[in-house]
Amino acid sequence: MLLKERTKKDYRISELDESIRSSRTKTEARILYGVAKAGVNAPRLVAVTQFGIYMTEVEGNLLRDIAMKPSYFPGIGRQLALMHNANIVHGDFTPANIISSGGSFYIIDFGLAEFENGEEEKAIDLLLMKRSIDRRCYQKFVAGYSKHAKDAKGVLLRLEEVEKRGRYQSRTLS
Amino acid sequence: MLVLGIESSAHTFGVGVVGAGRVMSNEKAMFPISDKGLIPSKVAETHVKNAPTVVQAALDAAGVRLSEVEGIGYTRGPGLGPCLQVGELTAKSLAQKLAVPIAQVNHGVAHIEVTRLLTKMRDPLALYVSGGNSQILKATAEPFRHYAILGETFDIGVGNMFDNFARGIGLNPAWGSTVGKMASGGNYVKLPYTVKGMDFAFTGLLTNAIKLAATERKEDLCYSIQETAFSMLCEATERAMFLTKSTELCVCGGVAQSRRLKEMLKSIANEHRIKFGACADEYNADNGAMIAVVAERMLKKGMGSMVSECGIEQRYRVDRAVIV
Repeated sequence: MLLKERTKKDYRISELDESIRSSRTKTEARILYGVAKAGVNAPRLVAVTQFGIYMTEVEGNLLRDIAMKPSYFPGIGRQLALMHNANIVHGDFTPANIISSGGSFYIIDFGLAEFENGEEEKAIDLLLMKRSIDRRCYQKFVAGYSKHAKDAKGVLLRLEEVEKRGRYQSRTLS
Repeated sequence: MLVLGIESSAHTFGVGVVGAGRVMSNEKAMFPISDKGLIPSKVAETHVKNAPTVVQAALDAAGVRLSEVEGIGYTRGPGLGPCLQVGELTAKSLAQKLAVPIAQVNHGVAHIEVTRLLTKMRDPLALYVSGGNSQILKATAEPFRHYAILGETFDIGVGNMFDNFARGIGLNPAWGSTVGKMASGGNYVKLPYTVKGMDFAFTGLLTNAIKLAATERKEDLCYSIQETAFSMLCEATERAMFLTKSTELCVCGGVAQSRRLKEMLKSIANEHRIKFGACADEYNADNGAMIAVVAERMLKKGMGSMVSECGIEQRYRVDRAVIV
């Protein structure tokens, strides 16, 4: 078992710090329960305190720290699709938050996750992954996602819009 | 190589002289502050009036004559069109007169590079915060070494938000520092906090804070909007630091003049035992020296342009410029 405790961040004032820590702990506990119900590979919720969550531990290596092969990514896309189908968005979906364990991939750190049905938030999950992996991996990822996500088409269209929105982004480049 | 750099992307017309990678002078003239914000054509007019004086002042401060200058640099973009044009024109006429090459510099790259030079960092994670920009950047590997954007604002720059907020609650904005000055001694009021991974958004925070001005004290709102916005930037920066495993962190751009922001970032750096740095305020505000620093490196690598090849680009995104 693992205790995830939100520690105090010295850079921010205590009022803001405590409000962020307690509300995120509460949301994260609800999310962990939600992803378990949706059949996503993720740590299982055991117990909750004001700033801490007890959960099961996933043994393995962070995807960020191993050589990323395109063949890993259809399955990772499917995991995200399962989450999105349950109206949960991760909020920080990068290789730093995926663990490779015995041939499967587990999603971890739901610290920024939310219950959200919007295409916008779902598109941002895809955008973060897109920025963190190479093009071949991303193509496999999108293929896996599109196969299993209920509204993949809408989310991918929205993603195009979100990408164009960046500051000084050239409108002609794709 | 003796290079003169010209910056004119927004409210500042700045000229700096650099020789052998050392800043020799950094002079500027700013568009006077008003409650109306920046009207690009009016700012450009002011730049035209100031240009000859600032160029001369920079040469005098460096102790060199114009004829000794071996290259010119100017800001190609991003920035306000009419303002950029003044810098471009000044650069072209000087280059024509001296028969020297011109370097077309990206404004964002210049902010990071001058910081890297003056703080002696090798490969820092950079938080670039100004009126128009708020981005988290890190240099990529060769070939086409450039600053990749890891995270950025989804709507407006953080400095712009502070200025808009100051105007919205009837304060006189003074280059973003108004909110910072009012913030000391305030109490915390809860405001929206929007971070998505390494990206962030400020307009929700802005509108909400202005609405609350009907019931809350201005001091409290200034304190809270500053704490909330900086905490958002810090959280995203800390996350980018984990992802990239950076061992150096720097902050640059106009908002990097804020002592509070530097204090917060330093606290993150100390906690993770990494190096933190920022330049003196004159190099964080828009300035010509930073353009000269990058221009000298570009010209040494043969990346100069002829007068006829020069231009401006209002949306010259930082990740399209190669770093040398």
